[in-house]
Amino acid sequence: MPEASDHLSATLAALADPTRRAILARLATGQATVTELAAPFAMTMPAVSRHLKVLERAGLITRGREAQWRPCRITAAPLKDVANWVARYQRFWTESLDRLDDYLRDVQKKEKKHGHGKHHGK
Amino acid sequence: MATGNIMGNEEQELVLTRVFDAPRELVFKAWTDPKRVAQWWGPQGFTNPVCELDARPGGAIRIHMRGPDGTVYPMTGVYQEVVEPERLVFTSAALDEKGHPLFEVLTTVTFAEQGAKTKQILRARVIKSTAQAAPYLAGMEAGWTQSLERLSAFVATKSKE
Repeated sequence: MPEASDHLSATLAALADPTRRAILARLATGQATVTELAAPFAMTMPAVSRHLKVLERAGLITRGREAQWRPCRITAAPLKDVANWVARYQRFWTESLDRLDDYLRDVQKKEKKHGHGKHHGK
Repeated sequence: MATGNIMGNEEQELVLTRVFDAPRELVFKAWTDPKRVAQWWGPQGFTNPVCELDARPGGAIRIHMRGPDGTVYPMTGVYQEVVEPERLVFTSAALDEKGHPLFEVLTTVTFAEQGAKTKQILRARVIKSTAQAAPYLAGMEAGWTQSLERLSAFVATKSKE
């Protein structure tokens, strides 16, 4: 199994949880301590720490070793992979469905012109 | 309790709703007849030199998309449900830029009559691809996408540094 896919899978799994996404959104505005991150959530510190561990394993955050309060920082690279994939995937469906819409129009226009279409408003 | 809960599968999805000005039978055929699918599948400017669809449960999907620059993107999948003319369910492998499978996506497409038009709802979610894969893979619900948009804006500024 290629290594890249494991990374993306781990990133996606980490992003599956709304609390972890909220934590990341908070960290996108700047580094924060566990206490600061826990504040908006009705959660215990160990629960927040568990979420942080998942994010750290997925490479989405790094935690400072220097201080006792170990500030958390967001890491951009894995998010870029996910954002790229999601963007490609959304573009694929949006543009495909636009083309399907065009195709359905064309095909009905042709049917009408050649007169072998079904009755309209049967 | 909006946060802190693991959300259920159903909510972890990408959902796209479209209303086509065409009868349901025609829309369904446009999804299951390889010759028709080849005419719309893929982003603008893409063609589908290979498009093989065996539209029945367990049947295979094999599409080679060709980009405007000539790059071919192979895609394979398997039909899970085919209920003419109202419902299609299939799995497909999502590939990275080098063509390696990343994980599987389960796509459900439903077609409902709306007068002379057809309302189509497409739902896609990521499912586990291998036993070693992360215990639970994310889907792509709207909130998730919005977070990602914000995060990708952050990423975009970050990667310029």
